[in-house]
Amino acid sequence: MSGQLAEQPIILGDVPSLSKLYLNAAANTARRRILGAHPDPKLPTGSHEVRAVRVDIAKLTSYQHLLGETASDVLPAGFIHALAFPVSMSVLNRDDFPLPLLGMIHLKNHVEQLAPVLFTETLDIRAWTENLAGHRSGTQLDVLAEVRIHGTEKVVWRGTSTYLAKGVFLPGIDKPLVPSQGTSFTPPVPTGVWELGLDVGRMYAGVSGDFNPIHLNALSARALGLPRSIAHGMYLASRALADVGAARGETFAWDVQFEAPVFLPARVALEIATSQGMNGHWQHSDYVAWNPRSGRRHFSGSVTAL
Amino acid sequence: MPAAEQPESAANQVSGQSLAASVSERSLRKAVVVGGNRIPFARAGGAYAKSSNKDMLTAALDGLIARFGLQDERIGEVAAGAVLKHSRDFNLTREAVLGSALSPETPAYDLQQACATGMEAVLGLANKIKLGQIDSAIAGGVDTASDAPIAVSEGLREVLLDLNRARTVPERLRILARLRPKDLAPDAPTTGEPRTGLSMGEHQALTTAQWKITRGAQDELALDSHRNLAAAYDRGFFDDLMTPYRGLQRDANLRPDTSLEKLAALKPVFGKSLRAEATMTAGNSTPLTDGAATVLLASEEWAEARGLPKLATIVDGEAAAVDFVHGKDGLLMAPVFAVPRLLGRLGLTLDDIDFFEIHEAFAGTVLSTLAAWEDDKFGRTRLGLGGAFGKVDRSRLNVNGSSLAAGHPFAATGGRIVATLAKMLHDSGTVDGRPARGLVSVCAAGGQGVVAVLEAN
Repeated sequence: MSGQLAEQPIILGDVPSLSKLYLNAAANTARRRILGAHPDPKLPTGSHEVRAVRVDIAKLTSYQHLLGETASDVLPAGFIHALAFPVSMSVLNRDDFPLPLLGMIHLKNHVEQLAPVLFTETLDIRAWTENLAGHRSGTQLDVLAEVRIHGTEKVVWRGTSTYLAKGVFLPGIDKPLVPSQGTSFTPPVPTGVWELGLDVGRMYAGVSGDFNPIHLNALSARALGLPRSIAHGMYLASRALADVGAARGETFAWDVQFEAPVFLPARVALEIATSQGMNGHWQHSDYVAWNPRSGRRHFSGSVTAL
Repeated sequence: MPAAEQPESAANQVSGQSLAASVSERSLRKAVVVGGNRIPFARAGGAYAKSSNKDMLTAALDGLIARFGLQDERIGEVAAGAVLKHSRDFNLTREAVLGSALSPETPAYDLQQACATGMEAVLGLANKIKLGQIDSAIAGGVDTASDAPIAVSEGLREVLLDLNRARTVPERLRILARLRPKDLAPDAPTTGEPRTGLSMGEHQALTTAQWKITRGAQDELALDSHRNLAAAYDRGFFDDLMTPYRGLQRDANLRPDTSLEKLAALKPVFGKSLRAEATMTAGNSTPLTDGAATVLLASEEWAEARGLPKLATIVDGEAAAVDFVHGKDGLLMAPVFAVPRLLGRLGLTLDDIDFFEIHEAFAGTVLSTLAAWEDDKFGRTRLGLGGAFGKVDRSRLNVNGSSLAAGHPFAATGGRIVATLAKMLHDSGTVDGRPARGLVSVCAAGGQGVVAVLEAN
């Protein structure tokens, strides 16, 4: 366990409202712009925790239908990510958080689904930040979250989201010396294609609660410097996870690295390659998605047996 | 009580013996094809643009009734289906029976296995006849791409359903306020596979490229289909297999005068985003089609008692499915696995078959199937054989044309093929001193396939 967690968590009374968090974040950004204040180049210590979180069954069903998950009573790993997301955001929204929350780019995500979680379960969700580091085009950090069965120490889900504050360079944090190498990509034969309408961003916002303006419509996206709205990274990754299907079993690790954003509307080509062991048991499924017209890679990742 | 201790079960049925034992000792009898009837297939938006599934199925059924004198006859069971079906047509087949000249006491049920619907109807009913549950049956299928069901959007549907459940006016207003302009856009059916988002043509394009099937080979197969079907019409082969409907006498898709040059001039429509050359055109792919087909099946006794023909016996059938979702196998390749299993069970090889009816979903489907059977490695690693499964003698393949020329109203294709093959088998009678044998192979959406062996009677 990290050093930060030795501190007692700050217990929030309820799952914070993401829309309030985004508003506050916008206000914070404006204030920093006006005051030109440079906060301390270090992450807040300590974690935030919300206890006894319950799942809304109607929201779960909508999520499962939208993402193509089987509508079972087990929470999809991406749904738990969405459940934990406001708690994570509340950490990034603290006054002592050194980076602007709005406009941060999701670089990659790692999830460990350690046990199946039924919707009837009551959950404790804790989130904190780690690994503030230089990136060739800004500053990156990890946001960690873990979900436990309420009142127990049993961790059922763990997630690490790596974000980049583009163009933000903090004093005392150096850029990495080795620039990340752009790997060349030749699109494979697709196993599927997604037709994503303009409303995909709004629909995922509806089931995940993540109303980040860059996903909602062209107007709100333009306000944040994007030519058009883009699909949520976790929407894309969660659809890939759903496409991997029942082979993944109840416990698995799920990874995704994001590259070119998916501007909406879009046609996304996808390949899922499954590997089985000698005994025929599923071992992992690797996925990659790209723009079939330009051949640019949107994201890639894997789901691996635990 | 175990069956083995009751040797005279048939004579003993009432004396306290297990009913299950007496039924299980009944010997299987033959199920034969008496004949078939279909309406000519129309191109979507053509002669049957305003005809519903029920209209067409009833028309095909009425022709069958007229041909075999089945007016007021109580048939054991009628089974048919449609792939594109309105929700109001939940009892499509029973409604068609009620609208036909059959006895209204004829039971009927709907079934659906995508493009294999007609084949599954034939096999299921033949099994009931074999078991002695029924003496006669009509299998069929119908589809319309013209009169396809169009659903309201999910948004509008949810609002309408919630509205229906609402109790108060304010509640209703709140629900109505959820409506958005986009909710008014209708939701039309597509040929896309739900799990991959790829259309059937795009799936086949992957398989066609994988088996390196050339454009020329596909166009040749399409040309053969048109020539063979045209020749069969010219010699009157379909005269007792078809009833004209809505002014159509022949399948509207048939192009007797097509040529390799004309086919070669068509632009590819599928597989254009693959690195391999795009080879699939509107000429070597089946068009969207409207039509219906029926087949009359019976026990030998039932046919003999009415002086009706016994064209062929339904010997055996097999269904298979492939794991196509992540590309382990091609979407339409299930028959590649079903046929070796079926022939293996019957102790036959491809060389023992006199007529092959391989449904031409796309020319590439047929040619990929043949290529997989001829492939040594595929035979060893995927089919579990000592080597390649075998080679289909092309002179025995789809000799009276198939779906590329006739068209393919999804659920009607099985009935078309079974009736056509039964007549061909009956016409050729014996081959090498044994009854002529035919193999039917139909691929279907969802990575499925149904195949069957028929024998001349």
